[in-house]
Amino acid sequence: MTKPNRIFVTLCLVSAISLAAYILWARTRSADNTAGAPKSVASATEAASPATGSATDAKPMPAASPEANGTKAGGEPAAPSEAAPDNARNKTSKQIFFRYNGVDSHYGQLAFAPYERLDQPHFIENLSCEAAYVAGGRGICLAANRGLFTTYAAKLFDAKTFKIIAEFPLKGVPSRCRMSSDGKLAALTVFISGHGYASVNFTTQTLLIEADNGRVIADLEGFSVSKDGQSFSNKDFNFWGVTFTPDARHFYATLSTNHQHFLIKGDVANASATVIHENVECPSLSPNASRIAYKKRFIVDGRIIWQLHILDLKTDQETPLGENRSVDDQLEWLDNNHVLYSLPETGSASTDIWMAAADGSNAPRLFLKKAYSPSAAVLP
Amino acid sequence: MYRLEWIERRKLKAPAISPADQVAKVSPVVWKLGWTSFLTDISSEMVNSALPVYLVIYLHQSPLQYGAIDGVYNGFAVVLVSLAAGLIADRSKSHKGVALTGYGVSAICKVLLPAAGGVWGWLIAITGLDRIGKGIRTAPRDALISLNTPPNLMASAFAVHRALDAGGALLGPLIAFILLARLPGAFDVLWVTSFLFAILGVAALWLYVPRPEEELFPQPSLDERRISRRLLSVLFASPHFVTLVGCGLFLALGTASDGFIYLVLQQKGGTNAGFLPLFYVATSASYALFSIPAGICADRFGRRSIFLGGYAVLGIIYLLLLFMPAVGLPAQAGCLFLLGLYYAGTEGVLMAMASTAVPPEMRASGLAILATAIALGKAGSSLLFGWIWNAYGIPSAIVTFGAILTAAMLAAGFCLRVVGRKQSND
Repeated sequence: MTKPNRIFVTLCLVSAISLAAYILWARTRSADNTAGAPKSVASATEAASPATGSATDAKPMPAASPEANGTKAGGEPAAPSEAAPDNARNKTSKQIFFRYNGVDSHYGQLAFAPYERLDQPHFIENLSCEAAYVAGGRGICLAANRGLFTTYAAKLFDAKTFKIIAEFPLKGVPSRCRMSSDGKLAALTVFISGHGYASVNFTTQTLLIEADNGRVIADLEGFSVSKDGQSFSNKDFNFWGVTFTPDARHFYATLSTNHQHFLIKGDVANASATVIHENVECPSLSPNASRIAYKKRFIVDGRIIWQLHILDLKTDQETPLGENRSVDDQLEWLDNNHVLYSLPETGSASTDIWMAAADGSNAPRLFLKKAYSPSAAVLP
Repeated sequence: MYRLEWIERRKLKAPAISPADQVAKVSPVVWKLGWTSFLTDISSEMVNSALPVYLVIYLHQSPLQYGAIDGVYNGFAVVLVSLAAGLIADRSKSHKGVALTGYGVSAICKVLLPAAGGVWGWLIAITGLDRIGKGIRTAPRDALISLNTPPNLMASAFAVHRALDAGGALLGPLIAFILLARLPGAFDVLWVTSFLFAILGVAALWLYVPRPEEELFPQPSLDERRISRRLLSVLFASPHFVTLVGCGLFLALGTASDGFIYLVLQQKGGTNAGFLPLFYVATSASYALFSIPAGICADRFGRRSIFLGGYAVLGIIYLLLLFMPAVGLPAQAGCLFLLGLYYAGTEGVLMAMASTAVPPEMRASGLAILATAIALGKAGSSLLFGWIWNAYGIPSAIVTFGAILTAAMLAAGFCLRVVGRKQSND
């Protein structure tokens, strides 16, 4: 064998061996994590529905570690510390649902924990979601079927038994989803973004769905929109980020056109919407329906920065929250005074959930580690 | 061009050869450069196909932010770097050294990816560096192909290289998807695999590709500074070269990018966005399949006609996109098949035509200038297509591009014929 051949063959062999070793290590890594999660007996959830809802109890996740938020150590749940909202203490049945983002065997699964015991999550093993939301006893999960070519589906489920009520395919990459507080209507947004190597060009599709049968009742593209009392329509309309009013007859959402981002208020029955404010993305209506939490777009050094704000619907007054980082998320109201949102964990591919006071007074606090897509639901 | 080739062949007293011979006669060096690109393309397309998923789904960045990575951000730097790389390769006559640098830079980027984790600024910087590596290597590598090939086999040689290149672009995404399907979320395994393929690509170039022989350069006494000073005057005094650059630029302006063609197909056919990587893979497969036959035909029957024929295929794609009422799966596959055919007929053939128009001692610079002109044309066409699409809708965009393409083809056909005739009269 000539010298170049010898070197090349050696190199191929070394590469093949190191790759095989790395893959083996990657496999044992995930197996270790599985073994490391101390699973306790099946929870009450599983007992309620042994056939479908296989929720397990595990303690792998230090919810809001004591070092991170500066409260005392000792295994005490960090979230309801002295800064915690007072009225939340009364609602003992408040559950925080979220997508678990820790890289172990529960990665991507829907999880929930009682608000007082965030360090004791339950995992719903039959629901792996890119984004999820639970309200009014029902939930929506936007799931990815990863194969050679990834496809996506929306799943509507019962929030007690985790039995799937309806399921239908999605046309693009999941982004946001919401459920009305009565659990009757669901909404979702996907990116019909197209080619990954392509340009800035992207489009969204936002659908309204009847939660008890999975029927799509509207695509927001079909709504008639008015602005300043006049009919408003453009080819480049994109809608995203629906949030329902408590009666589920109306909703708020973002309408983007020509580099502007409007807040619209929509009427479900009339299939119509009105522009009510500018530069509002991913609105989220407070439980008492008086304020909207949203991300406001700024361009700094040619890059998009989103700062969290609160809009008072009566006075039209905007209040910035005490969060200086750029947040790309649809906020969730923990109660009328606090909002939750996720941010990438520094230096990793995971995300954490943070909590900020809605009056902008306090600095935000770490709420839950390794989590994404929070929803605060009161389970009966 | 046909007459030019014919006269050349007469001069060389080259007997007519069969297509199989034609491929067999392509220098082993070209094949080795092809395998280098094959390995490198597996590596880079693995990353490129997985990066959007990684960013959008795992890091929860919006596609708009991904667009910022992909957009004009790095364009200008890459243009300057690739021109400089061509010039340095010609000056130092170390095409191999410069190409190795470019392949090496891209390989290093694959190691940096896992280190960047989810830090946004780093990801942008690494993607930019990877592009710069590609900018550095392309012109010297194409120069190496042409310097190892006799003029009558030029298109076949580029065809062999592009076929292997497209083969790599076909396998890369497939390997990435298989890995991710087996080990969900294990992007680090993907980056490591990609790095190993990149290293093998660099090794193949370093170990197997010799430096071009000295006697190829007729004026060894030419000192370094004279090349750069003479570069512009000589290259742009050559009507053949100027015509090729002008035609390349004009035709690129009338070419809708793959991304847009896929989007139109997807919107018309209502395909799930998850299947878009398959479009890319199908195009690469068709390109890999037709590249060598197209190159052989170009060398035998005239490069100009095959080149223009390739653009005619693009015109047919436009017509199909415009008039097909609803695009089913077979029709989508047909369009992608034609898109690969268009690439096979144009990309390597243009480089072959340019290689015969530029003297060896300026080959890398000349090819870099041509590639830059085409890149500028494509950037302009993307902006234009996006703008017309948003403002007036898809049909208007396609009709406009059809008109630009027709004008460019008529102009190119006329100019290339005049230049070819002039050359054969000389």
